[in-house]
Amino acid sequence: MTKQLARWLSPLLLFLPLLAAGQGERPPVTNAYFIQNAIVVQQPGTVLEMGGVIIRDGLIQAVGKNLKAPADAKVLEGDSLYVYAGFIDGLSNVGIPKPKEETGRPEVKDPGNPPNAIAGIQPERSAADMVDASDKSVEELLALGFTAAHVVPYGSMLPGQGAIILLGGRGQTGAVYRPESSFFSQFEGSRGVYPATTMAIMAKWRELYLQAKQSKDHSARYSSAARGMARTAYDETLEAFYPVIDGKQPVFFAVENVKDVFRALGLAKEMGFQLALANADHVEPALADIKASKTPLFLSLDLPEEKKKEEKKEGSSGSDSTRTTPTPTIDTKMEERRAAAQRMFEEQAAAVAKAGVSFGFSTLTAKSKDIRANLGRMIKAGLTEDQALAALTTAPAALLGLSDVMGTVEKGKIANLVVTDKPYFAEGSNVRYVIVDGVPKEYEAKKKKKASDPNAKVSAVGTWSITVDVPGQTTTSVLEITGTADDLSGTITAEGETRQLSGVSLSGDALTFTSQFSAGGQNLTLSFDLTVDGDSLDGSVQVGSFGTFDVEGSRTSKPDRQ
Amino acid sequence: MKRYLHLLTLLLASLALGAQTPTGSVHIKNGTVLTITNGVLTEADVVVENGKITGVGKSLRTPAGAKVIDATGQFVMPGIIDAHSHIALDAVNEATNPVTAEVWTGDVLDPFDISIYRALAGGVTAAHAMHGSANAIGGQCETIKLRYGTYNPEDLKMQGAPRTIKFALGENPMRVHGEGNRILPRTRMGVEHVFRQAFSEAKDYMAAQESYQKKKASDPTAVAPKYDYRMETLADILRGEIIIHCHSYRADEILMLLEVCKDFGIKRLVFQHTNEGFKVAPELAEFGAMASVFADWWAYKFEVYYSTAYNAAILTRNGVVTSINSDSEDYIRHLYHQAGKTQRYGQLTDDEALRLITLNPAIQLGIDARVGSLEKGKDGDIAIFSAHPLSIYAVPQMTIVDGIVRFDIKADDNDMRLSVDPEKTEDMMLEYAVEHRCMEGVEGHAAHHH
Repeated sequence: MTKQLARWLSPLLLFLPLLAAGQGERPPVTNAYFIQNAIVVQQPGTVLEMGGVIIRDGLIQAVGKNLKAPADAKVLEGDSLYVYAGFIDGLSNVGIPKPKEETGRPEVKDPGNPPNAIAGIQPERSAADMVDASDKSVEELLALGFTAAHVVPYGSMLPGQGAIILLGGRGQTGAVYRPESSFFSQFEGSRGVYPATTMAIMAKWRELYLQAKQSKDHSARYSSAARGMARTAYDETLEAFYPVIDGKQPVFFAVENVKDVFRALGLAKEMGFQLALANADHVEPALADIKASKTPLFLSLDLPEEKKKEEKKEGSSGSDSTRTTPTPTIDTKMEERRAAAQRMFEEQAAAVAKAGVSFGFSTLTAKSKDIRANLGRMIKAGLTEDQALAALTTAPAALLGLSDVMGTVEKGKIANLVVTDKPYFAEGSNVRYVIVDGVPKEYEAKKKKKASDPNAKVSAVGTWSITVDVPGQTTTSVLEITGTADDLSGTITAEGETRQLSGVSLSGDALTFTSQFSAGGQNLTLSFDLTVDGDSLDGSVQVGSFGTFDVEGSRTSKPDRQ
Repeated sequence: MKRYLHLLTLLLASLALGAQTPTGSVHIKNGTVLTITNGVLTEADVVVENGKITGVGKSLRTPAGAKVIDATGQFVMPGIIDAHSHIALDAVNEATNPVTAEVWTGDVLDPFDISIYRALAGGVTAAHAMHGSANAIGGQCETIKLRYGTYNPEDLKMQGAPRTIKFALGENPMRVHGEGNRILPRTRMGVEHVFRQAFSEAKDYMAAQESYQKKKASDPTAVAPKYDYRMETLADILRGEIIIHCHSYRADEILMLLEVCKDFGIKRLVFQHTNEGFKVAPELAEFGAMASVFADWWAYKFEVYYSTAYNAAILTRNGVVTSINSDSEDYIRHLYHQAGKTQRYGQLTDDEALRLITLNPAIQLGIDARVGSLEKGKDGDIAIFSAHPLSIYAVPQMTIVDGIVRFDIKADDNDMRLSVDPEKTEDMMLEYAVEHRCMEGVEGHAAHHH
C-alpha cells in the first residue's frame, strides 16, 4: 500500500522535501547574478527606476543604474519587475519541526514538581540546534518573500533560545545566521503540572530569575576564591539566564492579547531584563508604556478571520421599495460590535505606526496562506505601504540588530531579495524570484483562477488528460468521468495505478471531487477544485497538508452521445 | 450605544492622563446618607475631591470641576465590598500542588471581565479577587477596585492594600490532591499536616537565611541559601505580613486551624464560608479571627449540611467581625439583598446589616482605614440607591470609585463588553450557577461548588 501511494504520488510528495535541500546538492553554475532593468525599492521611500542589482557570492555587490552585466553572471531579466529587500519574520517556529501533539496530562509522580522538560522550562535549548531547512514551513514563508526569520523552539513557558536563520539559503548548515539570539518565553502553562497557569508562570519566572542571579554571583565568587566555599551546583537552566541578566540577550515574550502585553512589560520592569514583545495582536492601550520603555515590538500577522457575508435569503431585487427599515435588533447591534472589534485588530498596525513606534511582524500564529491578505487588510485600515514594507524589512532588521547585513537593497548586504511582477502590495502581484543568500529561486506567476459560473452549462463527462504542477516538475494523469450530470463518478490513473474518485460533483462549471489514499494507517485526501470550460479545465488540487498545486487539463475523448 | 461610548471615552480619557490611579471629584447633593460609622444623615451631601471624601454633611460647597449629582430622595452609602470573589481573573486555581503560596492572582487580573461592570451595577466598588480552594495553601489574592473601563490589569489593583492568601480546609484539597494525585492531603488530618509541614519548612528557611545574614559580614565563604519563592511567601505569613483567608465549613477544622496558627504565632486570620462558625463563635472572637459567610447558602456538598441562616447574626452578636460575601459573579450583584436577610434571620440593626457588606469586609481585608464607611479622608467609593439598600425595592442608581462614576443606570447600555472577540458569538445571558470558579482549573474532578 505504501509502495503504491509512493509511486502514485512520487512526483508530488517525494519531491517536496527535496525542494530546499536539492539546491545544495549540485553546485550552481555561477555565484553571480545580475538583475537588470528593474524597479529597485532599496528601502521604503527610496526607489531606483530602471536599476540593476549585481549579486556575487551571497552578497549584494552593486546596486545602481547603468550597471554592466559581469561576464560570469547569470542575467535575470528584471523588465517591469520590482525588487525589494527580503522580508524578515520577527518571531516564528518556521523551520523548526513541530513536535507531536500530546494530549492529557503527562505521567509524573508529583504534578507539583515535574522535571523541567515536562514543566516546559528549557531555556538551555537552542533553536539553532533544531532548524531543519527542509521543513515545509520554510517553503511556505519563502514563497511570500520572507528570506530570514527569528525562530524559536516549540514549547511552553521557556521553550529555549531563538536563532536568526536564512530561509533556505545554502543548505542546512547555511541556514543559521546567528544562534542564541534571544531568550524565548510565553504565558503557556504545562498541561496539569506546575506551572499550569499564568499565575504560576509569573511566580516561576521571578524565582528562576532571582535564583539565577544568586547562582551567577556565587559562581563568580567561587571562581575567584574557591577554597573553603560550598561549590556551585551545575544547573544549565539557571546558567541560560546569565546572558539575560547581563543584558546581552533580550527576552522575547510571545503575547496573546493586550493583558499579556501589560504582564510582560510589568515583569520586565520588575526583574530588570531587556524585553521584546512578539506576536501582539492588540497593543494600543499599552503604547505609551512600550514607547517609554523602548521595547521592540513585533505585531502578529494573524488577524481575526473575516466573517463571510451572509447571503440574503430573500430576493435582492429592488422591487420591494416600500419595505421599511427594520428596527435594529440585539443581533444587529452585536454584529456592529463584532465588526468594530474586527476593525480594531486591523487598525493596530496603523495605530502603532501613527504613534511613531517602529515595529516588525511576527508570523508565529499566522497561516501562511493568509499573510498577504492580512497585510492588505492592515493597509486598507490605514497602514501605508511604506510603513508595511518597513515593518517587513528595515524595522525588524533594526530591532533584531541586523541592519548591517539585512533589511535594505544596498551594496555589501546579504543578497536576500524578493522580486515581484507588480508592487508587492498591489492586487494580483506575484512573487517571481526570492533570492536568499545570493541564490535565486524562481516562481511561476500564478494563473488567475477563472471565477466559476454557477449558471454555466457544461459537461464533465469524458476522458481528460490532466497535469498537476508541482514547482519544477509536473505529472500527468488520466481522469475518467462517467455518469449523468446528477450522478457522476470517475477514476484517476497515474503511474499505472487507478483510483476511484468520490464526491464527484458538477455545479455550473465547477467540478469537484476527492481521491482518498490510506497508507500505513495514514489517510491522505487529494481535493480537486476545477473549472470546466469547453474541452479544457483548470484549477487546483490540495494534497493533504502538503499544499495546493495548479491543475490543467484537456478532454481527450467524449462519449459518443450525451 | 452612543451614551455608553461617551461614558467610555470619558473613562479612557481620564485613564490616559497618567499611570497613577485615576481619580475624580463629585458632589452628591441632598440624599439620605448612610455613613455606617456616624449614623444616618438626611438631606445631606457627600463631597469627593480627587478621589478622596472631603466632606459629609449639609449644604456643602461644590469643589471646582466636581460633577454634581442630585440624590434627592435617594440613599447614599459606602461602596459595597465583597470579601470573597473570583471575578476579573484569568486563572483561579494553580491546582498542581497542595501548597502554592508563591502564586498570586494579582498576576492574572482580567479587566475585560464583564462581571466587573455587573458588580458595579449592584453597588460594589471593591472585591477580594481570590485564588481558588483546590490547595490547602493556595495562592495570594488581590484586593481590587472595580475600575471598569481600563485595559491595563494593573489599574484594577487597590495599591497599598495588605497582602492576603487563600487557604482551604476539608474536601476540596483532599479531593484534588489526595484522590486525584494520591498525595497529601487525603484526609482532614492530612490537611493539617500540610499546614504544619509548610510552616515548619518556612521556619527552617528563615533560620538558614538569618544564619547566612549573620555570617556574611565576617565569613567570605558564606553562601546564601537557595532563593525559594514559596518559602519566602510562607515566611511572610509567619512575619504577619499576609492575612490568611481560609475556605472552611466544619467547626472541628476551624478549631484545628486556630491551633495551628497559635502554634506558629500567626494572628491575622479570616475564615471564609465558615458555615459552622456559629458553633465556635466565642473561640473565633477570643482568637480575634474573623468570618466571611453566605447569608443562606449550603447543602451543596456533604461537609456543608450543618448550616443556618442565623450564622452571620450569631457570629456578630458574639463579637466576631463578620462579613457576607458572594463567591459568585451573580450574587455579587445582590449583596445588599444578602445583607438584608440577616434582619429576617437574627434581627440585626440596619447598621449591623450594612456593616456586613461595607466596613467589616474592609476590616477583614485590612483596608478599613480607606474604605467601608463615608468619612472624611476615605476613598470616594460610593453607591447610590433608589431606596434604602436593605429594602427589596432598592435599585442601584450610580456607583462611584475614587470619585469617578463607573456605573450610571442612566447610561447603562445592553452591551457593556470592553473586549469583543470578532471570531466568537457570545452568549449574553448570565447563566446562574453553571460553574463556580472556586474549583476552576481543577482537572478530572467532578465540579463541586465552592
